[in-house]
Amino acid sequence: MTPALVRRRVSTVVLSAIAIVVFVASVFPVYWMLNSSFLPNNAIRGPVPHFWPDEFTLRNYETVLGDGGRAPFLPALMTSLTVTLITVAAALLLAFLAALAVTRFRFTGRRSFIIAILLIQMIPGEAMIVSTFRVLDGWQLLNTIAGLTIVYVATVLPFTIWTLRGFVGGVPIELEEAAMIDGCTRMQAFRRVTFPLLAPGLVATGVFAFIQAWNEFLLALVIMQRPDMMTLPVWLRTFQQATQTTNWAAIMAGSTLMAIPVIIFFLIVQGRMTSGLVAGAVKG
Amino acid sequence: MAVAPLGTRAAPTSATAGPPANLPGDRERDRDRDRIARRDRRGRRVVALTPAMLLIPATAVLLVIIGWPLVQLLVISFQEFGRAQVFGAPAPFVGFDNYADVLGDATFWEVLGRSILFAAANVILAMGLGTLVALLMTRLARALRLLVSVGLLLAWAMPALTAVVVWGWMFDTQFGVINYLLSQLPGVDMIGHSWLIDPLSFFGVATVIITWQSVPFVAFTIYAGLTQVPTEVLEAAQLDGANGFARFRFIVFPYLKSIFLVVTILQVIWDMRVFTQIYALQGIGGIREQTSTIGVYIYQVSVGSGDFAAGGAIAVILVVIMMAISAYYVRASIKEEQL
Amino acid sequence: MRKISIVAFGAAVALALAGCAAAEPAGSDGEAEGAEIRVWLVGADTPQEARDYLKETFEDENPGSTLVIEEQAWGGLVDKLTTALSGSDSPDVVEVGNTQAAAFTTAGAFLDITDEYDALGGDDLLPGFVEAGSVGDAFFAAPYYSGARVVFYDTALYEELGLEVPTTLDEYIANGQAIAEAKPGVSGIYFPGQDWYNALPYIWENGGDIATLDGDEWVPALSTDGSIAGLEMVQEVMTTASVAPKDGNEAEAQVPYCAGQIGHLSAPSWFKWSILAPADAEAPGCPEREASLGVFALPGLDGGPAQVFAGGSNIAVSANSANPELAKKALAIMLSDEYQSILGGAGLVPALTSLGDTVGTDATAQAIAQAASNAKLTPASPAWAEVEASGVLQDFFVKIAQGGDVADLAAETDARIAEILNP
Repeated sequence: MTPALVRRRVSTVVLSAIAIVVFVASVFPVYWMLNSSFLPNNAIRGPVPHFWPDEFTLRNYETVLGDGGRAPFLPALMTSLTVTLITVAAALLLAFLAALAVTRFRFTGRRSFIIAILLIQMIPGEAMIVSTFRVLDGWQLLNTIAGLTIVYVATVLPFTIWTLRGFVGGVPIELEEAAMIDGCTRMQAFRRVTFPLLAPGLVATGVFAFIQAWNEFLLALVIMQRPDMMTLPVWLRTFQQATQTTNWAAIMAGSTLMAIPVIIFFLIVQGRMTSGLVAGAVKG
Repeated sequence: MAVAPLGTRAAPTSATAGPPANLPGDRERDRDRDRIARRDRRGRRVVALTPAMLLIPATAVLLVIIGWPLVQLLVISFQEFGRAQVFGAPAPFVGFDNYADVLGDATFWEVLGRSILFAAANVILAMGLGTLVALLMTRLARALRLLVSVGLLLAWAMPALTAVVVWGWMFDTQFGVINYLLSQLPGVDMIGHSWLIDPLSFFGVATVIITWQSVPFVAFTIYAGLTQVPTEVLEAAQLDGANGFARFRFIVFPYLKSIFLVVTILQVIWDMRVFTQIYALQGIGGIREQTSTIGVYIYQVSVGSGDFAAGGAIAVILVVIMMAISAYYVRASIKEEQL
Repeated sequence: MRKISIVAFGAAVALALAGCAAAEPAGSDGEAEGAEIRVWLVGADTPQEARDYLKETFEDENPGSTLVIEEQAWGGLVDKLTTALSGSDSPDVVEVGNTQAAAFTTAGAFLDITDEYDALGGDDLLPGFVEAGSVGDAFFAAPYYSGARVVFYDTALYEELGLEVPTTLDEYIANGQAIAEAKPGVSGIYFPGQDWYNALPYIWENGGDIATLDGDEWVPALSTDGSIAGLEMVQEVMTTASVAPKDGNEAEAQVPYCAGQIGHLSAPSWFKWSILAPADAEAPGCPEREASLGVFALPGLDGGPAQVFAGGSNIAVSANSANPELAKKALAIMLSDEYQSILGGAGLVPALTSLGDTVGTDATAQAIAQAASNAKLTPASPAWAEVEASGVLQDFFVKIAQGGDVADLAAETDARIAEILNP
């Protein structure tokens, strides 16, 4: 073997080792959550931890999902899903329109709009809780899906506009023009040419809106005060505090259930993102 | 500022790319824009209205849900506004009293300093580790790269509150797996060690959690950017004898400069505003007074202690500070895009 | 372009519709026929039997109306009440910690129920709690229940080490230290750092206090000689008799107890049921240890029961309640003899002093009665809830548990408390 080859081998081994360390560091907490969720509560509180679910049980999930629990999981899941999905759809639509405006047109106030979008992201939301609460209360939107959703849309909009602006700006307008020369109407050109090119951008932006809406805790706590309107983060916290007597195993089961929809969403979306752009550009 | 030579056409193609930044750009695009606008002007009369129509929905939502409460917040910050005012008592104006109180309060400055240090540490860590992981991913075989992606994806997908709860459980004083594992090392006995009681250690744990969750975003975004760097240029540089660091410093980094800038500013915004992680971690252990960051402090002052006026004043001051911090970025963007 | 705006408008409508459609099931049952009364109970203290009784009785007496119990957590309660009570969708009847009540009575968050005072029990109501729920002569928040802290202990450990049930505070501490010394890993007296309620008796027994009222100014008193003596005792217990987490809180203490890691545990009387919960319960206890579970009232410095913290709750009608008359009826049921007797049976001290004997006559009941006889409240300031919410006391005792300098810490904490109490 030549020294160069040896060096490359060694570096491959080292890099692989580092990769595995990165993988383990990323995954271990997730594994630990799963592992704890499948063990009886008294087992995970022993002096020696169980490193795999050798006393496998689904009891924690029964506790979480059962009616006996003081905070029901399924309604919270439904609320969270509804709010999050509508938020993603609405935010993407509004942000896309706004992104079109600021990238494809020049107009007075454009610069102010973009700067405003950036500044809004710096406002600490914790301070605005009471004002937001009162605005919603004035419209009878407390404890409603619509109320929380519109707040979330407003919360994620600045970031989604900011991000989509980059993607929209990256789509060459010539492609659209070419399609119009070929006889497409403006809408057709947009739908067939621009939109496919934008898909990955929409997906990436949608992921952010999803994560933010899915994870948001404080606004949900204040706006959705009826237990039947709780979102999952609030549910998780309530569940943690419910009896003053914490059941870590069940909390890990609850955490798992809360993480699963996000993971599923990520997996679905990932495929879309890889395919989208290149194919679109070639066909266009 | 030189126009960054990033392939502007391509939004990141790779797995779960982040925002491609304001793909810099571009005199060329500006020309496009003008051309389109002109033609529209010839073709349709409504065109002058168009940007307004496109912006109305988003602007309306922002004005009502962010703008209006923001105005209220500003007003409140000049009033005496406590719990009684929430329930309808009249709120007298007190001028700049709240601001004077906040600025004269040593706790505020402590909290602010702590938040800035904490954010800086987290941004640097996340950017550094994220970049290294992204570079690592470009050099891995397909299978390993997939493995690393999946791991990062899982960490990224974990809801923030869930992550704190899980890490809190791992760092648990009595039954935490981390204490157990460390105690397996010869001569170490960490059983019963509290990780949250010492403020520095508390922030260590918080940093671990936040870094764990932010590295994936940074890594994915930068990896997406790295795949755009033309390989020919890198190969040429390698032939010319440039070592790895030099190649990164002089070729990759300039290509990705705008991506770095955007990701960094986002991390700064997010880490300065961090709330859930600290708030939830304080519920698990630690001394609140010594571990509050600015977001948590605002919440404690306004909702916890019922002094909404002071909370409002702190928020306004914070926004001014954040604006100062990000002024560079705003200036850069403005120049670059000739906004 | 019109098309685009129509799309946007359509999306907005769709958003609103989708929102409404999904939101409907929440309030759909019952609202059409009669009013819905929402009762906020906090924590798990109110037993299920009482909850069922309240709902059934209310719905029998008020046909067509429904009563919904929504359980809230103690953590962050003040924050949540501040917003919830100020909104138009306010809960109708809310439970609030007795030490937190003043924050809301003075803010105008509760309905004035002075006219109901006699009907609710009049002078039979727990006096300290009536005071906590009143502003001047106006009565806003009725007593709900009280729960003094008692000491649970492991009789098997006592036998093994030949200990006697203590009659003074010093003996109690000595017993705790003896256990901690003999059994490494066992807390003679379980005393996590954040558990400030359990630190109060030491301060009070030594003649100290948190703050005292002088005219209309609150004077912090943690730095007084009496308080310092008490705080030094607390620090001694925390560092020599307890191996509980220095920054932990008092929650889930049944876990270390059931693991045999606790000699003495000072906790609210109902905590017995957490310890004795079935092993397969959501929060498992250890019913098999019932035989060795002893209980006594914390002894004072000079014998007799110590001055312990009088925990408990008040209950009030929200000023923003949409159905105040119905809400008052629900409140009346919660203060009825039947309902309060159920609470008594569960180990809580009833709001009506005449029902004191419903707590029972066993050892636990006797300990509860003794402890309650000398129980004491935190400073009766409207701003007290903010002291609690700020976490300043938790922080203070965590630092004491870490072995910090008591006098320095007390002075520092005094300054913060004074600042909050005298805004």
